[in-house]
Amino acid sequence: MEDLIQGIYTAVVNGNASGVKQKIQAALDNGVPVEELLNKGLIAAMKEVGQLFEEGEYFVPEMLISARAMQSGMVILRPILVEQDIKPIGKVVIGTVKGDLHDIGKNLVSMMLEGAGFQIVDLGTDVAPEKFLEAINTHQPDIVGMSALLTTTMTNIEKTLRYFEENEVRNGFKVIIGGAPVTQKYADEIGADGFAPDASQAAVVSKHLMGVA
Amino acid sequence: MTRFLCIACEVFARPIYLSAAFSTHVVDVELIQRGLHNQPDKLQAGIQDHIDHAEGRGYQAILLGYGLCGNGTAGLHARSIKLVLPRLHDCIALLLGDPLRYQEQFDQNPGTYWYSQDFLERTDDINTFTTMGPISDTELAKKYEVFLEKYGKENADYLMEVMGAWQTHYKRAAFIDMGLANVDKSKKRVQLGAKHRGWMFETLVGDLVLFRQLLNGEWSQNDASNFIVVPPNHSVGLTYDECIFRCDPL
Repeated sequence: MEDLIQGIYTAVVNGNASGVKQKIQAALDNGVPVEELLNKGLIAAMKEVGQLFEEGEYFVPEMLISARAMQSGMVILRPILVEQDIKPIGKVVIGTVKGDLHDIGKNLVSMMLEGAGFQIVDLGTDVAPEKFLEAINTHQPDIVGMSALLTTTMTNIEKTLRYFEENEVRNGFKVIIGGAPVTQKYADEIGADGFAPDASQAAVVSKHLMGVA
Repeated sequence: MTRFLCIACEVFARPIYLSAAFSTHVVDVELIQRGLHNQPDKLQAGIQDHIDHAEGRGYQAILLGYGLCGNGTAGLHARSIKLVLPRLHDCIALLLGDPLRYQEQFDQNPGTYWYSQDFLERTDDINTFTTMGPISDTELAKKYEVFLEKYGKENADYLMEVMGAWQTHYKRAAFIDMGLANVDKSKKRVQLGAKHRGWMFETLVGDLVLFRQLLNGEWSQNDASNFIVVPPNHSVGLTYDECIFRCDPL
């Protein structure tokens, strides 16, 4: 059993999507519990990928292909997780703010968060405050993630936050922000709960906000 | 006689040289290469280096031909001279002559890639610019080879798809004509590129007003003006709102 899980772990770290699919199927056929596959296989592997990125061993392309490999495994596991009522560690509503069409970074953050055990509701790009609010009311997330690539659109992060306050939903979740021009200083000034300079840190910060190590 | 030093991005070469020539003051011009635009940290260090060299050379002010530029101008400072810069996000607002005009354009067409004659001419490899966007097709093809070798075909294809995804969000190529020289060649290149990507093409007429005001010394200490004047021993700070800049004491 450990061998099967180790195989999944290695395939994710190496960015081998078809390998992950095969090995997950084989492990399920051999009766390995789905929770084990998720935690010790996919999530542990993505944690390693995050660490390799922090250490400068991995760069964005490696992170992307590992995340894709992880996702190919999640496609198989997701319906089983739902069936067995295994809950994610938290739910995240994420999107780039109004006017911003750049989503490579946001997509990578989504994948890293998924790889850390979160459930993701991705609203895409150019998301108006009203659309965020609608998703918050529908999905009741633990975390709302917002990003902007341009300084022209970055100010819409604050506007969206204020909109949450005006609509009295702000206390129901934590807010994490990021994107090229975004800084910790900006996050502090506008009252966001978390800031991450890259996708790997986004997973670390989000887990921290959830009180998970 | 008032002497100014104008440190500007080379994408403003023609507007800056022209405005310096017509200025009522003596303006020396130093241009910095535009490649730094993609690396705000390096941009900051590059401009700061020019400012440091200008101290004690008898200038009454250093005029910066930059906007916020991805936070690349945040933290700039001088010890003995004031710094002046326009309250703008980037070069497009300066070329259009009005931040509100830029905002209108942005609201109507956020997926716009902007071009100007100097922008197109000031590149390390002019031939790669027959295609458009942050990564040229030649560069992308080179990257593909590397990815293919390192990660195999399936992953290489995936990485290309991810890296090329920005194009699907862009719909328009806008060429800003400053009216300073014949732009036919530059315009044609953008038109061809737009056609290649299936984008709409549009020409907008630029406005030199902000260049003229900056180089003529028509900036006030008033915070509501188009410019911010940063006194000596202060740095360029950020307000994170429409004022964009503020002065922070060093």
